Amino acid sequence: MRGVVAIGVACLGAVVAADGATVVDRQLVADNQAREDGRIIPGQPLGDLAYLRKATIDVIGRIPTFPEIEQYQKWPKAKRRELLLDHLFKGKGLADRWTIFYADLLRIRSRAEGGNRLLAYVHQSIEQNRPWDEMARELIAASGSSGNTPSVGFLLSDESDPMTMAGATAQVFLGVRMACAQCHNHPFDKWRQKQFYELASFFGKTKQIESRLSSKTYVTEGEEMKVLWPPERRKPKERFPVVPKFPFPVEDFSVKPDYLKRLEALRAGEALALNKHKESEALDALIDSSGGKKGLGIGVEPVALSVSKESREDIRKLDVKGDLYRKSELRRQLADHVAGPQNRYFARNMVNRVWAELMGRGFYHPIDDYQGEVTHPKTVDYLCDEFVANGYDLAHLIRVVMETDAYAKSTLNADVELEDIDISRSAFASGTKRRMLSEVLYDSVVVAGHLQDHKWPKGANIREVERRVRVPLDTEPEDKIELESEPESGDGKMVPKKPKANPYNLEEVISLDFDQLVKSDLDRDIGMMKAKSDQEIEAERLAEMARKKNSVRRRYTYETVVDKVDDNPKFSSSMRMSTPAPPTHFLRVFGQPSRDGLGEFRDHTPSMRQALMMLNGKATHEAARVGPYEPMHRLLTGKTKNLAKAIELAYLEILTRKPSADELAEAEAVLGQAPLEGMADLRWALLNSHEFRYLP
Amino acid sequence: MKDTGCFDYQMTRRRMLQATGASILGMPVARLLAASGQTAAAKAEHVILFWNGGGMSHVDTWDPKPGRPVQGEFSAIDTSADGIQISSIFPNLAKQMHHCALVRSIAGTNGAHGRATYELQTSYNMDPSLIHPGLGSIVVHEKNRLGDLPAFITINGQAAKSGYFGQSCSAYFIGEPGEKDPYLSFPTGITSARGNKRLDLLARMNARATGKTGVTDFKATDTAIKEAVSLMKSPALKVFDLDKEKPDTLARYGDSDFGRGALLARKLVETGVRFVQVNRGGFDTHSNNFPAMENHALEMDPALAALVEDLAATGKLESTLVLVLSEFGRTPRINNNAGRDHHARCFSCLMAGGGVQGGQVIGASDKDAMEPAERPVKPSDIHATVCHALGIDHEKEVYTPQDRPMILVREGAEPVHELFA
Repeated sequence: MRGVVAIGVACLGAVVAADGATVVDRQLVADNQAREDGRIIPGQPLGDLAYLRKATIDVIGRIPTFPEIEQYQKWPKAKRRELLLDHLFKGKGLADRWTIFYADLLRIRSRAEGGNRLLAYVHQSIEQNRPWDEMARELIAASGSSGNTPSVGFLLSDESDPMTMAGATAQVFLGVRMACAQCHNHPFDKWRQKQFYELASFFGKTKQIESRLSSKTYVTEGEEMKVLWPPERRKPKERFPVVPKFPFPVEDFSVKPDYLKRLEALRAGEALALNKHKESEALDALIDSSGGKKGLGIGVEPVALSVSKESREDIRKLDVKGDLYRKSELRRQLADHVAGPQNRYFARNMVNRVWAELMGRGFYHPIDDYQGEVTHPKTVDYLCDEFVANGYDLAHLIRVVMETDAYAKSTLNADVELEDIDISRSAFASGTKRRMLSEVLYDSVVVAGHLQDHKWPKGANIREVERRVRVPLDTEPEDKIELESEPESGDGKMVPKKPKANPYNLEEVISLDFDQLVKSDLDRDIGMMKAKSDQEIEAERLAEMARKKNSVRRRYTYETVVDKVDDNPKFSSSMRMSTPAPPTHFLRVFGQPSRDGLGEFRDHTPSMRQALMMLNGKATHEAARVGPYEPMHRLLTGKTKNLAKAIELAYLEILTRKPSADELAEAEAVLGQAPLEGMADLRWALLNSHEFRYLP
Repeated sequence: MKDTGCFDYQMTRRRMLQATGASILGMPVARLLAASGQTAAAKAEHVILFWNGGGMSHVDTWDPKPGRPVQGEFSAIDTSADGIQISSIFPNLAKQMHHCALVRSIAGTNGAHGRATYELQTSYNMDPSLIHPGLGSIVVHEKNRLGDLPAFITINGQAAKSGYFGQSCSAYFIGEPGEKDPYLSFPTGITSARGNKRLDLLARMNARATGKTGVTDFKATDTAIKEAVSLMKSPALKVFDLDKEKPDTLARYGDSDFGRGALLARKLVETGVRFVQVNRGGFDTHSNNFPAMENHALEMDPALAALVEDLAATGKLESTLVLVLSEFGRTPRINNNAGRDHHARCFSCLMAGGGVQGGQVIGASDKDAMEPAERPVKPSDIHATVCHALGIDHEKEVYTPQDRPMILVREGAEPVHELFA
């Protein structure tokens, strides 16, 4: 069982990590001394509550709740932060929050072929603490359809195009922009066009097939090398198949470095644990394919998740026949090159990306453009060694960074010269202000306002809502299309279909079922044969076209109707919705990338749209209102009324700190004679404040 | 010192340099002169871009080939412009062609939707290292905002990203024209007196935080909130309300979402909005091209015709450049599914107003609309043309947040000067 192994590794990691962070801080100082580029002013260390807020946001993707704050403060001061991290890393939130990280990195798009399954695969991989090198191998080497091999979604989303995949491989896994070399030798870079073609040719026999039989798209391996040299645009007389060659220099392992020995020992231990748990199919695959390099995990084949024994045999049968899902030897070789410990680019890329995610800036910029230099070489070297030695354990890496003093530094205040602020930040001696990720901001509003559940009794908020509906002017027989049976009325009466969702649907969140998504549909896949004939498909399309034609011609007018609604909403976490959200959704407005192309990062710049969504949005409004089912309510009404306590609670729930004396006085004035309304006003302002959306 | 239509969230050092003119140092004198000459000629102040996603057939719209097998099901009709014919599915627009110019020789290079859309909207090819701003973002980066409304508005869909110009130059979107945007007023139940009190409290809290930390992001957020509040309170917001329009007007625009979009676009430029993009999808007609195009024309024809007519009637057309554009054309050859496939090598666009001389055709395709036969026009030339019409130097150097120098429109682009003859 993987889970058991994963826990073992995590515990081991925790012990080493405490030392690791201290070493990182020492290396940073050493690196800074070597840089000598100005006056470094250290930021103040974060207070305990600020650390709680920052760490909770970074590990599980939302602010801490009041009970969590209380729990934290009960822990002994000296051990508080350590216990907090233990607690956070054990929880479920880690996988939700860091799925966002992987989704940005791998450009996961729900609408792309296999997108949602890839998302669920990543989520499950984090839950199971699967090593990053193993994931990378699967992402690069997978064949099959996303139904039976979710990791193949990485290839499918770029239509398995060799050139695109070469660019993505370099940029995503290695932090190097090579895609420019697709068209030309880059004037400043060392990458030649030929090298790009050689990298691309690892994908050169990969075929993506859309089966009209099973209506599925899958990846398999063909015979013919599609990547040819010289490039077509040079209009050569003849073009030749390119021989695959990995362009990146590798480490010299003639003397085994310490981190490699540690990795080997770790992997040997893992294999042993696997053995004990008699997951022999999985182990067979592991051992069979790792060949001469056993223990290193090199060449580990993708182990399909939750695939029944029979289905797995079916895959093997198909493979033997050289049928549907042929494995790719070329991509397996590439996976070895990319994710093997001899490739320093691979470890450095992840170290830099995680560091940048948590510290607000990386050791090189942009984070997908390594040019041979880093700002803090000793620190990077140490972090890379540790990352590899700990089995490419993402959670461990995150934790080491979060345990450093550098992570727990405040930003410098306005009284410091701009230049000194800049130098101190780039030395990681003071903090860099980071805004919450859009998903984190959304979830934090939900948590701060107790919106995960209804906070009002049923029927307490009945109000009338005006809604505009479109009414056709000419009633043709086709109008029946617009009608549907109301399921709840039971009498089958035809009522007009509601033409549009609520006007606040830009904040709507519908969760995906990740567990369902990672289940294999292999049985269906193999069993499923032709569902519809070509003629049927064509006929359907014609019918659709005719319907559209008629609907276009129709004229209509608008009428206003009044609905009675019970305004008592509850909100889901935004971390499990299909991704990226629609372009106008809250998440996108706050910077979630479209993930259409390489080189797109989260845009954290403020905009007027963002301001409007927070000032007037449904989530902020409902979070601010005080419902009878939340603890705040009893502090504002009746015998238990205690306005000072209520204000303190509001500050703790929203900003994770107590108010100052001035703030308390200010808030008391706001609460005035109408505490319930006043508290809603106070909470609305706190939710909209800079302090709320920017991390300490 | 506001030199941009983008919300001025951050007065960066770079922006300071640009604003003080440092960025034109080092520009060859000849180009400076050329640039100033063009600026004097520029008439356009606004742009309305109709973006037709999916790749609109050029043969079935602006470049009919009567008598050829490629012509398909529609005929070609005479228009109000001498010697210019367009497809028979645009009878109303045909009466306005004396205001319109056609470019029939756009030579694109990208045949896939994503890449072609990117190029036709930004002038650049996709680049794995950065995102280029779309045409609207370029325009509002260079032209100041007039009034309270955002300088760049997109209707019925999304515009290209603002790329390295950041969110402040991105488009403000209108979901459905005529619908009330709930985000433009205080939430239900919050009176404006109470809402204003909330805003005061928030301003006090944020001022303390901004003052103490001096974080530039805080200042930028302050500005964004200020802009939002002034928009919420602006009398100009009434322009979004189409309910007061005469039924006749709505009918002339075709009484469709698209027509409402076109009508709103007109009202927006009349209110001072610099760049309005009206989006329409569904042009990827690999099968059953003809009924699909007929349906499109049923909405597009009255809307475009009424828009051009109305703008011309009020004189606003002189300062408003209307552009109808798609990412590529479609194969003149009709495929086995009665459809047309992607065709980037030769396609067309329509322009009107903003100094563009109406009633003319630039370039020509060959007998079957397969290749440009005369005066090939690069996609980036279209962007240079729009810049030229607005008096924007399309070769201006700007810097990305990473301090990488870029020029607004891809190198080598040239305005199609004949359009303005």
